[in-house]
Amino acid sequence: MRLWLSVFAAVRNVNTSTAVSRPYVYGAPNRRLAQSDLAKMLEIVRRAMRVLTIVLLASSLASAQNGTPAPRPEDEVSIMQYLADKGLHDIENENWNAYGQFTYISSWKPSFHAPYTNLNGSINSLLPTAERSFTGTATLYLGVRLWNGAEGYLVPEVISEQPLSQLRGLGGAVQNFELQKGGAAVPQFYKSRLFLKQTIGLGGKSIVEDSGPLQLGTHYDSRRLDFVIGNFSVLDFFDTNAFDVDPRQGFLGLGFMTYAAYDFASDARGYSYGGIAEFHWDDWAARGGRITPPKQPNQLPVDFRLFKYYGDQMEVEHKQTIHEQEGMVRILAFRNHENFGRFSDAIAAFEANPEENAANCTAFNYGSNNATAPDLCWVRKPNVKKGIGGFAEQYVGHDIGVFGRAMYADGKTEVDAYTSDDRSATIGVLAKGTSWSRSKDMAGIGENVGWISSIHAKYLGMGGIDGFVGDGAITAASERSLDLFYSANFRKIYWLTGDYQHITNPGFNAARGPVNVFTVRIHGEF
Amino acid sequence: MASSKPQRSYIYALLAGFALFSFRPLLADAQQQPSGFAVERLYQSAPGGGWFVMDDLDISGRLGGAVSLTSGYARNPLVITSSDGKQKLAVVSEEAFVDIGGAVTHDRFRGYVNFPMPLLVTGTSGTLGPYQFTAPSVSLGTNPDSVSDPRIGLDARLFGRSGSLLRLGAGAQLIIPSGSRADYVTDARYRAMFRFLAAGDAGAFTYAGQLGVHVRPLNDAPAPGSPNGSEFLYGISGGRRFAGPSGWSMIAGPEIFGETAFHSFFSGETGTEALLTGRLEHSGAGRNLRIKLGAGHALVQNFGAAQWRIVFGVELFGHK
Repeated sequence: MRLWLSVFAAVRNVNTSTAVSRPYVYGAPNRRLAQSDLAKMLEIVRRAMRVLTIVLLASSLASAQNGTPAPRPEDEVSIMQYLADKGLHDIENENWNAYGQFTYISSWKPSFHAPYTNLNGSINSLLPTAERSFTGTATLYLGVRLWNGAEGYLVPEVISEQPLSQLRGLGGAVQNFELQKGGAAVPQFYKSRLFLKQTIGLGGKSIVEDSGPLQLGTHYDSRRLDFVIGNFSVLDFFDTNAFDVDPRQGFLGLGFMTYAAYDFASDARGYSYGGIAEFHWDDWAARGGRITPPKQPNQLPVDFRLFKYYGDQMEVEHKQTIHEQEGMVRILAFRNHENFGRFSDAIAAFEANPEENAANCTAFNYGSNNATAPDLCWVRKPNVKKGIGGFAEQYVGHDIGVFGRAMYADGKTEVDAYTSDDRSATIGVLAKGTSWSRSKDMAGIGENVGWISSIHAKYLGMGGIDGFVGDGAITAASERSLDLFYSANFRKIYWLTGDYQHITNPGFNAARGPVNVFTVRIHGEF
Repeated sequence: MASSKPQRSYIYALLAGFALFSFRPLLADAQQQPSGFAVERLYQSAPGGGWFVMDDLDISGRLGGAVSLTSGYARNPLVITSSDGKQKLAVVSEEAFVDIGGAVTHDRFRGYVNFPMPLLVTGTSGTLGPYQFTAPSVSLGTNPDSVSDPRIGLDARLFGRSGSLLRLGAGAQLIIPSGSRADYVTDARYRAMFRFLAAGDAGAFTYAGQLGVHVRPLNDAPAPGSPNGSEFLYGISGGRRFAGPSGWSMIAGPEIFGETAFHSFFSGETGTEALLTGRLEHSGAGRNLRIKLGAGHALVQNFGAAQWRIVFGVELFGHK
């Protein structure tokens, strides 16, 4: 336990001490926030809850999460299991399956201290007033075996949403991973995935794959080649995790989905077209893929010129056992060649000609009215963005595990698809409620930290905005979010979650915040 | 009297303002803009239904099902003609789609879902009489994840058995609005269809037909080419089966289908198409495969009936 606490405290200290604190302040008072009594109380409560939670979790499966739904355990109630129980379906060697889910997430953000908001016509501040946000999603996962080794998947989905501050003002600390850019309260129906997967067995051991969303119940060779082509989320295949926890039961923060600095190519909803090849050799796996980017950063239209604009990613993965406890490590690198802007180019253009400011640009832009700020709109052209990261997860006891991930991206170019973070680190613990006789419950605590590059901070400090952040001025610092949740299962197929997030330096700006977000989630599976 | 000129100009300005205000509705009426609607008229049969539009009602056995992928291209599905017949405007000149469906069958019942996805919807904008039409501009790049008007349906075989001379059935569909009217892929309103189905086999010959109602709340009359409320559906198909080796067979024959608005029965709001279809299928116990190809031409080119179209489909089907 002491080891746990000291590790967690060390990480917190490292995060704090390495926080970006360059005083790029343009046109705004450079002063630290005075801590209010309420903030101090919340800090004390936060620390107490952190310690308490770790104590609780120490006795109890845990996991990181990703954007892919998890397999359904045999004891879970589902249509497929029902058909199998009636002798109408071979769930271990499926020709088809169908699963579904619905999730409603409601968040409330109390007002917070901010000396300035949307300064000089910039538009990307998180509003300091109290706000409510929600998402409602319903998803149908359909799978079919087409021929030997070939699986086809179609996933229609509907979403209704209302983000905080129109999804502006936060980097990787966005409080709800379900939120999409350009979403609306009016339900939108769309196809999230339509892809073909072909597996070529190469021998080795026979591995059982349980039936679940995006997975037909089957047996694979431990040595095999997988090829995927179509429309999917990059996170269906990259940076997945072995704990198999459904993200809609786990952490709510966007920074816990994957590396916050992993600006993987995708459309505004987070999905892409492309191809992926995977090579599995027992405990090792390597995968690589080329994915379509959006035509304009953070927008829905997709550019299919895959030889000209693309997102490439490579990942190597190894599963290990330490003291009979399973774990996994991964290294992931990406390289995007897309049509987006470099911060240094935008600054240089503005300094050479102040008429090339955020208010004047008529090409694709995010709508800033700041006539004294540079804007990426003037300098978008084919550019490269690169990043490399590592992930580790390890069971440390019965139904408890820890995970951590960190990524370093070059930070020269704007966010194109995911979050504004240029560097990110996440650590967390997840536990199932086996030890308190509620095996389908889940609890977790984690911290996500995001940084921006110095040139990114300079650009924001001059009043510029990117796809998500830009207050008009900045006291640059790391954006941190603590996420604490408990997910209680009832009637076998429903989960009710309470979640608290404490966000420090929202939008990488130490002059604003901290922000507290309280969330309730109801999730059902069938 | 020195002030008479300014006074007169005030009066003129007032009159001009009044005239503008008075004629505002007329000016607006002069350039009405139809909002778009679901232009696609290939109302497909359920996955596993055999034909493209008609249904062979071959529903039997224990738990079974079908998965289908259909794709098609239509040329000039919406061409508006001026009242004097001198002008034509192809508001939708090209339309391509892919549709994925799945069905579950048990005994004589079938439940199914279809997810149509537009690949291409383009046309020509222009003015025709008092109407200003804005052409859609949909491609996979601009709308990478659109699902346009998915449907869920239930069919039942009420009379006859698989392979019999006469099979009768009924079907109902609910069409869920999805997409943008401006893209000519949806009415943005719930729609429903109720159909009486007939099919049968006589030796090497096979046939199917349908009569139905398309409950369509959208009525954009008098905008030309636009929906005019609920519609009457009709269709018939017939073909000959050529038996091949190892359970394979080929069926070739025409399908004729169309619809007419109840408000203007068999008038300008009627469209009819003919498709010459051929399908290669393997049927028997276990899993079966069907590959379909159709090409056709409008018999009455109105109301969404394409000048010509080609359709391709693949189905996996079977039952225990």
